[in-house]
Parts: sequence; C-alpha cells; structure tokens
Amino acid sequence: MIVQQLLNGLVIGSVYALTAMGATLVYGILRILDLANAGAYAIGAYAGLFLYLSTGNILLSFAGAIALTGFFGFVVQRYLYIPVLDRPPIVPLIASIGLFIFIQDLLRLVAGPRIREFQASLPFGAIKTETLTINPTWILIIVLTAALLAFLWYLLAYTKIGLAWRATAQDLEIAKAMGVNINQVVAYNFLLGYAFAATAGIMVGMLYNSVFPTMGDVPAYKMLALIVLGGLGNPVGTVAAAVMIGLIETLIAGYIGFFLPRDAIAFVALIIILLIKPEGLMSRKA
Amino acid sequence: MSGNRKMLSGVIVVLGLALMFAGCGGSEPAKADNKAPIKIGFFAPVTGPAAADGESVLNAAKLAVEKINQTGINGRKVELVYYDDGFDTKQAVSIAQKLTTKDGVVAVVSGSYSGMTRAAAKIYQDAKIPMITAYAQHPDITKAGNYMFRQSFVGLVQGKAGAKIAVDNLKAKRIAILHVDNDFGKTLSSAFKDRAVKMGAEIVSSDSFAMGEKEFTPVLTKIKQLNPDLIYIPVYAGEGSQIVRQAKTLGIKSHILGTEGIDSTTQFLGVAKEAAEGVIITTNLNRDSERKVVKDFINGYTQKYGHKPDMVGASTYDAFMVLAHVIGQKGAEPDKIRQGLAELKDFEAVTGLIKGYNRIGEVKKTVQVQIVKNGDFHFYAEVADDDIITPPAE
Repeated sequence: MIVQQLLNGLVIGSVYALTAMGATLVYGILRILDLANAGAYAIGAYAGLFLYLSTGNILLSFAGAIALTGFFGFVVQRYLYIPVLDRPPIVPLIASIGLFIFIQDLLRLVAGPRIREFQASLPFGAIKTETLTINPTWILIIVLTAALLAFLWYLLAYTKIGLAWRATAQDLEIAKAMGVNINQVVAYNFLLGYAFAATAGIMVGMLYNSVFPTMGDVPAYKMLALIVLGGLGNPVGTVAAAVMIGLIETLIAGYIGFFLPRDAIAFVALIIILLIKPEGLMSRKA
Repeated sequence: MSGNRKMLSGVIVVLGLALMFAGCGGSEPAKADNKAPIKIGFFAPVTGPAAADGESVLNAAKLAVEKINQTGINGRKVELVYYDDGFDTKQAVSIAQKLTTKDGVVAVVSGSYSGMTRAAAKIYQDAKIPMITAYAQHPDITKAGNYMFRQSFVGLVQGKAGAKIAVDNLKAKRIAILHVDNDFGKTLSSAFKDRAVKMGAEIVSSDSFAMGEKEFTPVLTKIKQLNPDLIYIPVYAGEGSQIVRQAKTLGIKSHILGTEGIDSTTQFLGVAKEAAEGVIITTNLNRDSERKVVKDFINGYTQKYGHKPDMVGASTYDAFMVLAHVIGQKGAEPDKIRQGLAELKDFEAVTGLIKGYNRIGEVKKTVQVQIVKNGDFHFYAEVADDDIITPPAE
C-alpha cells in the first residue's frame, strides 16, 4: 500500500507543480499574483477538449491548446497588466480576479455549466498487479511534467532569454537600464506561464475525465499557497512545495483520515512554514 | 347647438360604456384581476459550482409551467418568476425579500441546495408565502414553519432506505462510508449508519471530504485494504463519478451504493461511463415506471432539452404540478394554497404517488432504488416499508 500511496502522491504533486508553475513564473518577474492563470488552466482544458473532439489527435490537441492559451497570455499581459504596472500592487491583483471571474462565466456561457467528458485514448495501457495499479494517464502526467520542468530549467539556466529573465526577476529597473528588452521578457514569460497552465488543465481534464467552467477554483487558491511555500516566484521551490504537498495530502488521507478538507492541508503547511521559515522553502535571500 | 348635442351624446356613450363595464365588474368581482397570470416564484443556482443542477431544475420548471399553461388553471395562466441565487446564501435571502415584497408571487418553489433554502425559508414563512423545497435535504428547512413543504424525502428516510438495501438486498456485513462533508452527506451517512448497525452490519471506516474534491485514490487505496462488502457514498455527481472511476482503476470489487446525489445522467453517468455499471442508488425517480406522468415527463424533457432528466429536475417539476393542482382546487391565495398542500392526499407525481405531507410539511412516498445497467438507470427495487418511509413529524 505504501508504494501505491507514494505513487498517488507523486501524481498529485506533479499536477500541482505544473498548475502552480505558470503563476510562479509571472510572480517571479512582475510581482503580480496572477489569479487569472487559473482561468487559463480552464481555457486550456476546454481548448484541448474541443481540439481533441474535432481532430481525434491528442498531440495536436495539446499543441493547439498550448499555442492558443499562450497567445491569450500574451494578450492579457499586453492589454491588462502592462498598463496597470505602475499602480499599487492591489490594482493588478483586482484586475486578475476580475479577469478570472470573467473567464469562468464566459466559459459557462459558451460551453454550458455541465461537466464535459475528456476521454482520450492513450497509446499505452494500465499496469496492474495485486498491490499496485498504474493508470496510463498517471504515466503521462509524471513524464510530461518532468519533461516540461527540465525544459524550463534549461531555458532559465542556459539561454539568453533565461538570463534576461533572471535579471529582470532580480531587479526590473536595473535590467531595463542594462538594455534588457523588458516588454519582450514579460511577453515570453506570460506566453510560457499560460502554456504551462494549459498543459496542466488538459492533463487534469483527462485525469478526471471532466472539464467544467469552475475547474480553476481550487487551483486558484492552492497555487497561491504553493507559490508562497516555494519562496515567491522560485520555480525550483514551487516544484518542491508541490511534490511535498501532494505527498503529505496523500499520506494523511491514506493513514490518518480526512480530519480536515484535503485542500486545507496546503494552508496548514503554509502557516507552519511561515512561522519557522518565513522566506519560504527555498528562497534566495534578497 | 349641434356641436353641444354631439358632445352630449358623446358623454352619454362614454358614461354608458363605463356603466356597462362597471356592471360587469359588479356581477363578476375582479374579473380583470382573474385574468392576470398567477405568479409562482422560483430560485436555483443557475451559476456557480452547482450550475449543472441549476440548469436542470430551471429546465424542469419551464417545462412544468409550459405544461400547466396548455390548459391553464381556471382560465388563468401561470407566470414563472425566477432568479439565480449563484449558490450564495446571501443572494437567496435577497431574492426571498424581492419575491415576497415586490413580485407578488402566491407561492415559491426552491430549486436550490440546503444552505440557500434554509436561509430563505424564514422569510417566506414570515411573509406567509408557501414554499415547496424541490430536493434540498436539511431537516431545518421545514422547521421554519407551517408554510414550508418538502417534495423529496428528508435525509433520514433515504439513509434508512439505503441501509435496508445494503444489508437486506446486497447482504453487506462490512461497510465503508465515504461522504461529502456538508449537511447532505452528514445527514444521510448518520441515518444510514444507525440503521445498518442495528441490522447487524459493521461500519469498517467512515471518511469525509470537502465538496468539489476530485482526488480519491489515497482514501480508496486505504478502503481497498479493508476489503468491505459495500461502500456507501452519499455524495454529489461530480465527486461520485470520480469515486467510481478511481475505485475501478484500483480494482476495488465492493458494491457501491449511492444516493440521489449522483442521480444525474450527464454529470454522473456521462463522466463515469462503464465504471458506473452496477452502481446502485436510492432516489425518487423510477426511469422504468409505466405510469403515464413519468413517461410524459421523461419524453417531454428529453425532446425539449436533448438529454434525459435527472432527479432534481423531476422533483422540481412535481413541485410545480402539486402547486397547480392545489391552486386549481382551492384558489390562488397563499393561505389557501398552504391549506391545500397540508390536506393533499394521493397525488400522482412523477417522483411517485405522494401520499401527502405530514404535520411539519414532510412528504411521504416510496423510495426508488435504481441500478446502472448499459449506461442508464434502471429499476432495482422499491422501499415501501412504513417505518422507513414515514418522515419524522417533529
């Protein structure tokens, strides 16, 4: 049972890591808590579902949904966040909440309030033994999450855009003075952040065979906890926090029982971490 | 001169006409008023997390009003005054204030969940506007007063019926419970537990989770180790479909017994697909019924909306039909409707023969038990034991 539970925890953690990554990237650069990223997660899921239904090709549906949602991210930063960037931080936060609500209701009006099924057939089957079950979607989730995170790590550590990115994250004004094209950095950042959200949305849609307008509700607040836990905008920290929360949730549910709603566990962890290590799990000291 | 006479005759004509109408009014009091539509209020969570149920019940309410207006009630039409409560208790309260003070409705149907209905109940009671709760479970709703009635069984009845099916029909000795942590899940699981333990079964585990949960693999992995004969799941369709899918993935072979919470064709059967096969539920809509009202409702709804109706829709439809019947008999004044509801006997409704409402407004009717076969709900059993289906009277 312990192996099964660890695997369950790893799957849940991977989903959290992917879900929170988009918002982490955005926070890392602009210091905006982008709640609308959870809306992008739902948009990605719907886009992926409709592309899959019309083409029957899962690869195409992933690619199309990622491109579409990434473009949406570009539009959002260009016409929503950049214009309000010099205002107090509460302004972009409220703008993002507004956008999130707008996205949810738009999806409800366009696609209806009912749960839509996302039944994709994968080219590999389930692995089942007496004590262990491995679902094909779980394999996809773990592999894809690892691949995307490796790509992100490469991008940040070894490319020019990654360097510009890290410079901007350290100090936007100085980076600008040094000739970094801030607008371009922010645009790429959103493009990638929203693409991550879309991937997470599609995978969760497939995992639970359901896509619905309010599917971003839980990620919207949980990703906040993960971002803070991980050290505010630090991608590695967010991944660590996500896997940790996934495992803790699973083990508590499996061995102790649901003495609290599962979603509350992330916040209990958040309170503990803030008390003993207020800068987050992994944080570069500023 | 001629001008004056013309004017005079004009005045006489007008006077005459006025008298004529006044005369009519005298012989048939308030005739104009009698033609006006009868307003029935309705609220449901059309947006927010329960929007799918909201859509179902609003569809059913519109279908019911359409059906009632084919003949009308004593020459009058019914007008549906509906609001979206957005799954928000505050909203439900302000809707109640609006319906009772501004809209002039004579009766109200709640198409919403327990939280919203409970908050609004007192306002309708104080305004002396009768309310029928279509499917909300909480016992306190009818306790708001004598103008409150409930169309579906209170949680206690359904929980007891579930225990009978589990222990008597499915011969379950070791039972695990997995319930949603709110009024609905708690009421049902405690009623089920009491009865099942009395009947000799053992409850091997009882877990709860917050509404909207999607991930049950951890807790199901634990339940699998316990290897119970049956898992009782008083949950909603969104969670229920995930529970049966994930149980199947993990290779759990126990019987799964649900409630009306997962009585949804699109939300439960559509998502769970073949994992739902063999799942049994307690509900109030028998899809295989040969009764005409049931067939008419299922066919009418399916034709109009393109998918099969569920239990929340059927209960809402019934609430309107009961109101139309009572208004036809007693008149369209709130206190007469209340009296008519209290006296109602043996009404042929879609969700079964309503034997009547008891002293505190709880309905008495048999509990339907349905099983999923070939992707659809079908008849499995009916619980008619008097000690189970008689609702508590206080």
